[in-house]
Order: sequence, then structure tokens, then C-alpha cells
Amino acid sequence: MDADLGRLVDALPGLMWTATPDGGAEILGRGWLEYAGVKAEDAPQPGWQQAIHPDDAPSLLAKWSAILKSGRAGEMTARLRRFDGAYRWFLLRASPMTDDLGNVVRWCGINIDIEDRVQAEEAVHERDRHFRSIFDGLPALVTLTSPTGALELANRHVLDFYGVSLDALRSQEAGASFHPDDLPSAAAAWARVQATGAPYDLEARKRRADGVHRWMRLQGFPLHDSRGEVVNWYFLQTDINDAKQAEQKLAAEKSLLEMVARGVPLQEVMEALCRQVEALAPGSYCSILLVNPDGETFSVGAGPSLPGSYNAVLHGKTIDPSYGPCSLAVAIRAPVITADLAKDPRWASSIWPALMAEYGLRSCWSMPIFSMGQEVLGIFAIYRREPNGPTADEQELIDRFAKLAGISIERAQADAALQAGEAEIRQAHSFLAEAQRLSQTGSFIWDVAADDHDWSRELRRIFEFDPAVKVTTPMILGGIHPEDMPAVEALMGAAAQGGDAFDLVFRMTTASGARKHVRVVGHRIEEITDRPVFIGALQDVTRSKLAEEALDRARAELAHVTRAMTLSALTASIAHEVNQPLAGIITNASTCLRLLAADPLNLDGARAAAQRIIRDGNRASEVIQRLRALFTRQHAEVTPVDLNEAAGEVVSLSLSELQRKGVLARTDFAQDLPPVHGDKVQLQQVVLNLVLNGADAMSAIYDRPRDLLITTRCDDGRVRLSVRDAGVGVDPNALEKLFDAFFTTKTDGMGIGLSISRSIIESHEGRLWAAANDGPGATFSFTLPAIFSTQTAETSALGPYMAGVRPVVRQA
Amino acid sequence: MLMRKLVSVVDDDESVRESLPDLLRSYGFEVQPFSSAEQFLASASLPLTRCLVLDIAMPGMSGPELQLELTRRRQDIPIVFITARTDEAWPARVLQRGAVACLLKPFSEGAILEAVNSAFDRR
Repeated sequence: MDADLGRLVDALPGLMWTATPDGGAEILGRGWLEYAGVKAEDAPQPGWQQAIHPDDAPSLLAKWSAILKSGRAGEMTARLRRFDGAYRWFLLRASPMTDDLGNVVRWCGINIDIEDRVQAEEAVHERDRHFRSIFDGLPALVTLTSPTGALELANRHVLDFYGVSLDALRSQEAGASFHPDDLPSAAAAWARVQATGAPYDLEARKRRADGVHRWMRLQGFPLHDSRGEVVNWYFLQTDINDAKQAEQKLAAEKSLLEMVARGVPLQEVMEALCRQVEALAPGSYCSILLVNPDGETFSVGAGPSLPGSYNAVLHGKTIDPSYGPCSLAVAIRAPVITADLAKDPRWASSIWPALMAEYGLRSCWSMPIFSMGQEVLGIFAIYRREPNGPTADEQELIDRFAKLAGISIERAQADAALQAGEAEIRQAHSFLAEAQRLSQTGSFIWDVAADDHDWSRELRRIFEFDPAVKVTTPMILGGIHPEDMPAVEALMGAAAQGGDAFDLVFRMTTASGARKHVRVVGHRIEEITDRPVFIGALQDVTRSKLAEEALDRARAELAHVTRAMTLSALTASIAHEVNQPLAGIITNASTCLRLLAADPLNLDGARAAAQRIIRDGNRASEVIQRLRALFTRQHAEVTPVDLNEAAGEVVSLSLSELQRKGVLARTDFAQDLPPVHGDKVQLQQVVLNLVLNGADAMSAIYDRPRDLLITTRCDDGRVRLSVRDAGVGVDPNALEKLFDAFFTTKTDGMGIGLSISRSIIESHEGRLWAAANDGPGATFSFTLPAIFSTQTAETSALGPYMAGVRPVVRQA
Repeated sequence: MLMRKLVSVVDDDESVRESLPDLLRSYGFEVQPFSSAEQFLASASLPLTRCLVLDIAMPGMSGPELQLELTRRRQDIPIVFITARTDEAWPARVLQRGAVACLLKPFSEGAILEAVNSAFDRR
């Protein structure tokens, strides 16, 4: 039986064996022996175990024991050593052989060579590991999903990024990691690729493990089977947050710069700037404070997300470095970071942290905004509800946008300055036009050779020329008064032939028949050297001319009034002068009659008395004549005047008045005094005025003689007459005011005298002035041009108040 | 006897000094003219003068001043003032001080005679 069995086992193809019920080796088939390279007799009981790979032996034996124990068929795998020493994988199968009672009487086994299969499996596993390591090693977030998008695989980066396990990721709802704002676009993109089968490409924010949303680029590629059906989607997720932020910053900067360039109001630009920064740095609240021109206070530029009441507190706030970081940043011209205001010792004594706390703000970063000239224009501040300082990114953001704020503020300031400048020019222009209108002065530029007249609106109005018509010389000359035409033509001729300035008053008649007096002044523009071009102004002086004439008339009337007043003042003196000779006449006449009636007849006495009557009569007559001359004649009559004679007459006429006033009048007249041109009576009025003034000035003098000295002299071709008193004197500071009409130091005077006197003297081309004496009193003097024998009396000076056409053309 | 009727005329105006003495002399008065108050005061005629015809306004000592001076010297000479000025308060004032009369120039023959005569009557 055993031999048969042995032969049977040997005959069976394969590595057969049998074992005893307790597991000991019984028969090893020829196949087995040939494989292991042993002879039957060399294979001792446990010998077969030596062929087992040492690494596999423990598990194999353990398994074999379990099979023995169970009494049922089982399998084991292990590497078995071949005759040549090589190990090959085998599947060891064992089945029990039982007797009728069901007891195991023998184990039959077969070892099946599975080396090739194991090798193949091993290769598969190796590829799998390789794939996995590549998959995980990809420097990107890669996922594999089912055709419907259910997650199947995700590489290590994905799990790291989201901070969850693959299982957890698989159980997440679709879209859970997207930023809520990006969900709709993500869903739309997925729906689109589902419908078209095209690759998926989307930029969206996804929440990272730390809770921060990062911008990711999501690319999906479908994987098709041989029939073209989608079997999987591969997804590639790339973190583009930094690039995206840089892009957004650039876009923000670009849009702000465009606003600045377009000249959008500063307020809008600053608000946009704040909103941009708030978008780029989530959780921030931006504020721009401007340093006011006074340099001492802030005004709120923008703070769109801060509470209005907080902005209101800052508006107009005094810049106080101990108050808060924005003030301090202005003061030290550097950023001030308050990461946690509750813990910052710098504001321990300020009310600012409490104010901030009220709004739930915990940190504030204040960045000075500098101008190109490094002047602090304002503060760019970022507030947060969390107590922390800026990250490097945020710091960079603040730096860049503070610069942008500086650019926008400077641009706005430049715009404002430009606009102010333009407004100023417009205003100046309108002022000029208004001034021209008010002063009735037009301006012009005259290119002589080209006959080009550039006239202002007012000038055209004066001439009544149509604003649209080109002004020409014939047009201008058309309205000139014939008498003034030669002067105007002379002016134009001189201007064309090298004159460099003119000044002329002339008369003209406009188209509407208005008669005007105009004064034109002009000078050559020095910058234009190749040809004569004049710039000038023309004023309508009609009114002032008429006023001047009226003034002349008024002055003449005043002079008359003054004479009348003087006459009244002199009444007593005149009466005295007349009564004196009258008394003589009457007395002599009485005497004459008495002597003629006497017995004996006294003819000699009567004759003497009659002669005295004639003398006194003449004397009275002279007085009357002088008075008449002095007080009645009103029209100027220019003749050569002997000032000694004229003054002597005045002195004798007023002598009695002077005497009454206790004034001792003396004369010191120069011998051979040349005559002067003038109206004798007017000059006498001046002398009388000076004499009476001198007497009045001494009326309150009791401690010294009331001396009045009238002197005439001739020096440097001019005749001078002075009246020196010993009176109260004049205030050296009021010397010129004395000559103002209505200025008077006298309580009973009208102050007209000196003003009229000066106008009379000046109309005689003379000069009248006052001077304080070295001693008491004052001296009033006038000078007049002397006439010498070479001159004739006919070359008379201009009469008083005469004004004429006097062109002034200076030669270049 | 002649000296008893001495009339002194003090006036800075020559016409008066020439004409008035001749007229008064024709009525038998002895007349001595003076051109100023000072001259009169210094003259020998002062104590002999029985009537003084005196101008009010004169350079130097005026008529009223001479009147006061005579009063001070207790020279009680009746005075007839004459003046060419019409605008002054002097006539009233000198009359108040005892002048016989104050005549405004030009005066009539009758007026001066009456005044001089009343001066002598007063003595």
C-alpha cells in the first residue's frame, strides 16, 4: 500500500507530498525531490522545512499548525529553495485524508509554483507606488474625480492645503471649500464643461486650512476610455493668490491713477482708494486724514467704512502727538503702528483708545502721506478689529497706497492752484475791463508801420466804434476837433519817426455827436526793436475837463468872495483912508470961506486952503481908484508889473488897518527891481492877503513888537516878495496844509485866502510858500519870473487857469 | 491973554494938522499942532493947553492912551476927540472917560467950533 502510494505520488505531475496526521513529512514526491535537489533517503523528517525561505518559515509553520489543528484543507504561501539555491514562490495546498470514522489518517499536499504570478503582482504594486509617489510629489494640488465630480483621489498637497483627510474630503459637500462669492461662477463653469466636455478652467478663492481664502486656478481635464466616454476628471489647483493680489493691486492702482488723471474730485479718489485697500486687505478700515494748510489741524479726506461719528471727531482735530498715532506720525514723519491699542503705553493717558474701543477697533496703523517735496500732506491709516500689526504684504500695500494718496492729493492741490490761477486771471481780466469802464480809460497797442490798432472794448466804446470793425487811422482822425488836428497829426508823425512817448489832450466828436475831451498817453514797447509799436491808454477826461472848467469858475467866484470879504474887513480902513482927506477938504473949505469973508480979506490964506483942498481931493480920489481897482475888476489883464509899486499901494491902503491892529509895517524894497508879467490887481490881492494874514498872526502877541516886514528882492531871474511877521508862527508839519482851501488856523477865517493866493501865483508861473522864521513868526514868500530888457512885454505868460493842447513828444 | 485960549491939535494926519489950525485961528483961537502924542507931552504947550483936539488912531501912543496919561498926570485938559474910523467903540469909551466930544472925520465947521467952545465953557 505504502509502496503503491509512493509510486502514485511520484507519478503525479507536480510537487506532491503527504504527511502524517501530526504534520510530519511522509512521502515527498519525485517532483518535489527533483525541485529541491535531494534524494528521498536524504530527506529526513523535518528536512523539507529546510527548503523554506527563512523569512517565510515562521508564518508558514504557524499556518500549517492551524491547518493541522482544524483538520480541514488549507493553503499557505512561501518561497521554497530550488536545487540551484534560487527561491521561488509556491502555493502550498494541503487536504486531509480520513478514515470511515472521519479521523485524519494522512495529509496530502501539492506545492504549486506561483513565482511568475507573484512576480507579476509585485510589478503591479511597484508601479502603483511609483504612481503614488509621483502623484504626491507633483508640486500642485491634484485630484481625481468621477465623471460626475465625486472625489476619488487627492494628492498630499491637496490634503495639506485643506488640512483634512482624504475621507473627510470625500464626504464634503460639493463646493464647500469655495469662497461663497465664487460659488456661482464655479457652478456655472462646471455645468458648462459637463455640457461641452471641454477642459475646465476657473479662478476662484478657496478656503485654506488656516481659514484664509486664497485665489486658486482650477484646471480640469477629462480622461476618456476607448469608447470616448469620460471615466475620470483630473483637477489641477494652483495657488495664484500672490499673483492675483499683485494683479488686483495693479488694477486698483491703475484705476486710481486713471481717476487722478481724469481729474476726478479728490474726495472721490480718496474714497475709492480706501475701498480698494479694504478689498485688498480684508478686515481693514481705511481712513485718509489731510493736514490742513495751517499745519495744526486735520480734516477728514475719506473714511468710507468708518463710522461717520468717528470721522466727525477727527475732522478739524488739532494735531497733538500725544493724542493718537495719526498725530504722532505727522510729528515724527514716520509710520506709527499701534498693534494693540489697549496695551500701547503711548496712548495710556489719551482718550483716543476709549473712543476706538467704542467702535470695536483694536489696532491702527498710521502712515504719513508725503508730497514730492517730502512735506507731510496727510495720514493714511488702517484700522482693524483684531489687535495685530501689518504683515509684510499689508505693509507693502500701505506703502504703495500712501504714495498713491500723495499723488492724488498733490494733483488735486495743483489743480486747485491752477484753477485759482485761472480764476485769478479771469478775475484780473474782468477787473481790468471793469476798471477801464469805471475810469473811462481804454488801452491800445499800435503798430505804427502796419497801421494796426488793437483796441480794448472800453476804447472802442469811447470812440463809439463797432467792436467788430477793424480800427484804422482815418477812422480815428475822422472825429478829431479841427483845432486839435495838427497836434494829433504831429503826435502820430513823431511816433512814426522815432518818438518814444506821447501825452496829449485833444477834443473829438463821436459818430453820435458826443463831444469829448480825451487824454492819450503812450510809450514805445522797448522789447520790439525792429519797428515802432506803442502801448498806451486813452482816457475820456470830458467830465474832469468840464469839472476843471467849473472849478475854475468856482475858483474865480471864490476869489471874488475873498475879495469881498477882504473889502469888508477893510471897510474901516477904507473909511479912514477916505475920511482923512475928506476931513482936510471940509476943514480947508471952511477956512477958505472964512478967510475970503474976513476983513481984511486974507487971499493968500484962502489960496493956500484951496490948494490944500485940491491936494486932499486928489488924495481921496487916489484911494477910491485903488479900491476900485482892487475890488471890482475881475478879468485878468497881463501887463508888466512893478512889484515895489504894487506892494507899496497895498501897504498904504492897509496901513490904517495895520495901525489899528498895533502892527508896525516896514518895507524893504529892492532898488531897480525888474518888472514881472501879471495881473497887477491879482498880485496885489495876494500881497494884501499875505499882509493881513501876517497882521492877524500877531493879534495875540503882547510881549514883543508886532513887526511886519515886506521885502522885495531879485535873484536868479526871479522876483521874490516876502512878508515876514513876528506872530505865532506855523507848524512846520502843516506848512503845506496852509495852502489847502478851508484850512485855517484863524478862528474867524474861511481859509480860502492862501489857497486862492497860491493858485493866482501859480497861474503866473510863480511859486508861493511858507517858512518858519528862525525867531518868532513865519515868512510867506512868492517868486515870479522877472522880465529883463531883452524880453518884450508881449511874451506874456499864460493867463490864470488856462489849459491847452500841449503835445509832449520826447525824442528817442 | 492969548495963551488962555491955546488949543493943541494932535494928529498924525498932515491934512488935519494943516487945515484945522487955520480954521480955528480964524475964530481967534491960538492953535498949536502936534504930529504925535509923545511930541505933545514933551512940549511946553502942555501946561498951557486949554483944549486938546486929539486923533484917536495914531502910531505910537494913541489918543485914548494920551487921555489916560493926562488923567494920571492930573492934567485936566478938556479933550475933543476926532477920528476917521467909524467902526469902533472908542467914541463911547472916551466920552465916558470925560471927553468933551468925539467927532467923526469929516466933521463940519460948526461941529468942531461947538466942541471947542464947549471945552472952553467947561473950564
